Amino acid sequence: MATTLGLTIAVTALSTLIGLALAWTLFNVDLSLKSTLQALVILPVAIPSYVFTYSWISLIPGFKGLWAALFVLVLATTPYITLTTLAALRRSDWSTYEVAQTLGLSGFQIFVRITWPQIKNSVAAGSLLSALYVLSDFGAISLLGVDTLTRAIENIYRGSFDRSSASILALILVAISALVIRLEERSRHKLRIIKSSSRIIKRAKASDKFKVKVIALLGIGLYLALGLVIPLFQLLSIFLANSTSINYSLLFQASLSTLIAACLGALIALALALPVGVLSAQGSRLGRVSDKAILIVHALPGIVMGLALVSFGSSIGWLYQSLLLLSFAYALLFMAKAVGSVRSSFDRVPKNLIEISATLGQRKSATFRRVVVPLATPGLLSGTLLVLLAAMKELPATLMLKPIGFETLATQMWSYSSIFRFNEAAPYALLLVLIAAIPTFLINRPDKSDGIGDDQI
Amino acid sequence: MALKKLRIITLALSLSASLLVGCASQKSESLVIYSGRSESFISPFLNKFTALTGTNLDVRYGDSAALAAQLLEEGSNSPADLFISQDAGALGAISAAGLFATLEKQVLDRVEDKYQSSRSDWVGVTGRARVFAYSPERVENLPSSIDQLTQPIYRAKVGIAPTNSSFQAFITALIQSRGEAAVVNWLERLKANDVKLYEKNSQIVAAIDAGEIDLGLVNHYYLWEVSKALGRDIAVNNGFFAPGDTGNMINVAGAGILKTSTDSQSALELLKYLLSDEAQRQFIEQTYEYSLVLKDASPVGLPPLSQIPSPRVDLSLLANLSKTQALLIKVGLI
Repeated sequence: MATTLGLTIAVTALSTLIGLALAWTLFNVDLSLKSTLQALVILPVAIPSYVFTYSWISLIPGFKGLWAALFVLVLATTPYITLTTLAALRRSDWSTYEVAQTLGLSGFQIFVRITWPQIKNSVAAGSLLSALYVLSDFGAISLLGVDTLTRAIENIYRGSFDRSSASILALILVAISALVIRLEERSRHKLRIIKSSSRIIKRAKASDKFKVKVIALLGIGLYLALGLVIPLFQLLSIFLANSTSINYSLLFQASLSTLIAACLGALIALALALPVGVLSAQGSRLGRVSDKAILIVHALPGIVMGLALVSFGSSIGWLYQSLLLLSFAYALLFMAKAVGSVRSSFDRVPKNLIEISATLGQRKSATFRRVVVPLATPGLLSGTLLVLLAAMKELPATLMLKPIGFETLATQMWSYSSIFRFNEAAPYALLLVLIAAIPTFLINRPDKSDGIGDDQI
Repeated sequence: MALKKLRIITLALSLSASLLVGCASQKSESLVIYSGRSESFISPFLNKFTALTGTNLDVRYGDSAALAAQLLEEGSNSPADLFISQDAGALGAISAAGLFATLEKQVLDRVEDKYQSSRSDWVGVTGRARVFAYSPERVENLPSSIDQLTQPIYRAKVGIAPTNSSFQAFITALIQSRGEAAVVNWLERLKANDVKLYEKNSQIVAAIDAGEIDLGLVNHYYLWEVSKALGRDIAVNNGFFAPGDTGNMINVAGAGILKTSTDSQSALELLKYLLSDEAQRQFIEQTYEYSLVLKDASPVGLPPLSQIPSPRVDLSLLANLSKTQALLIKVGLI
């Protein structure tokens, strides 16, 4: 219990700091290949935590315990903060930044007084995801031998199939996550963003000092090395040390299945998260309550959610173990990842723009379509992306709910790594990261998204 | 621009969605198997059965315990015909819930009583011996009893996997033969001797090979598994304790037919095939497990099952390891 809380707090604090620093740097420093870097720092989230952990264990003999878990989980959860913060930064109003500059504020003062209030809610939403991730993680902590509640729950299922005592432990987890969610909510203040028109949203001039650039590149490089390059390189070398022939058709099929199921899941999640996010941003009671309800279940370990869906799904023969139920399960499991982004994106839409639109005689639906959605889109996309990436690597619920013979990259990876054949699992892990890179790059596309505000609306 | 992207994505996805909902509603007429044994090990046998009989098999692979939990949750709605499990514990849990159908005597008689359900509703297919894996270079005097592992010469040299169900099964058997107090005492002394903890048996074997530890309590077949995974010979041997020591217990991987089965005849045929002399010989050669039928044959380099000085263990006790887990928690090993 103390381990669970301590680890959650430490990981969340560290990953928030690192994620914020990464996002800030990537946004404000003029780096070449910036958009590529922006996508790369998100990718560690696509590596399943047990594969990620295993690659570190095989690299460093005796890599175990609480510190190792802290290390692995910080690297794995940082992208949640980076991604949500980047989306918020892209929507920040930089005209105030210029005003602050002319008034003689230092860079740090500008961050604290101008930038921070604008991105705070998004950062908090990212930190919340990081905390809930730690609460529900099994892959990393079990391999590293750290005792958390989630591991205790899994052990009860394994040892005695005692569902009632496992459920009681799961309830404690729910209580802890409720606490975390409450903390996040208290930190969130209603935003007051007043802008006369979207054209005033100006892009800050990126810093192009040589020294700043070097430091920025070193920092980003270090994170990428630890979080992406070294684990993937290690996997590759495990594969090459004992390479077996790759079944390409199976690899292709698994990739396709992964993409289809995860995309469907992400789409359903977006559809479900939209009304909740909108209502919650408007301050409706229903919205706020359902928002929290969605977040609470997010801390439950996959096996608990998987079994809940088995219990519900198995009574409906045609639906059970169909692709539809699987995608629906992904949506339910990971909707929380989208809800926070959706809510904060709608929060960020200046209320006066909506009022102006109304005075110009636009109907509510037209206002929503022409004003609100375009402004909220970057946030919506990054939320959907998080669901997609999480669904692509999901395992316990996939094993229970997938149609028989429907193999995803994650299930194939598991089927080899569960019998210690990491060499055979490696191609699947590498491909998973490659495929995850596609939507990540698409959403972080360089061309337009950097010039936000100038010609988009 | 971003909005346009969102629209295109949405359109593409809804198209594929409608296409797939169509596919999803197809149901097959094959025999449905839930297998806790991994695909690499069991699928050659299943493919052979399909080739022999023409019966199509739909196999859902998963962790034995997770599949057992799933079967318990599905209850009378389960689509499964046959459950193949890695260990007796998961089979016992399904049996205790009354979800297995009673098996024919002809099938049960293939294996000894101690390797099958006391309710006659599941049967062991292969045997797995608890052994100590050790480094032949670094361990000169082999231990004759698990009690010796608490001696100073083994300090920080022994590995166990306390969260693993195979270790918990061993501890459960130990409680049965020695009583709780003696087991707690042994575990505490083991812990005081700085025993190293791992998550999996395979990690222990790999750690012996890597020189991190000298000896570990594992199942016998992990030597081959780790060697195959690493693609080379490893410097690790299997050893047995003195006759009757619980450290030599035999656990089984087995199977049972679900009451919900819509084709229990085919399921029974498959079970018979898995227990046939031919399949049993292949298990010895390909998965390095013990045959429960051919008692004088053994995996290469190991004594036959009939000569292993194993203690008598009631496998039905393994269905509930909660007492064992509580004890391990109390001692502070998990």
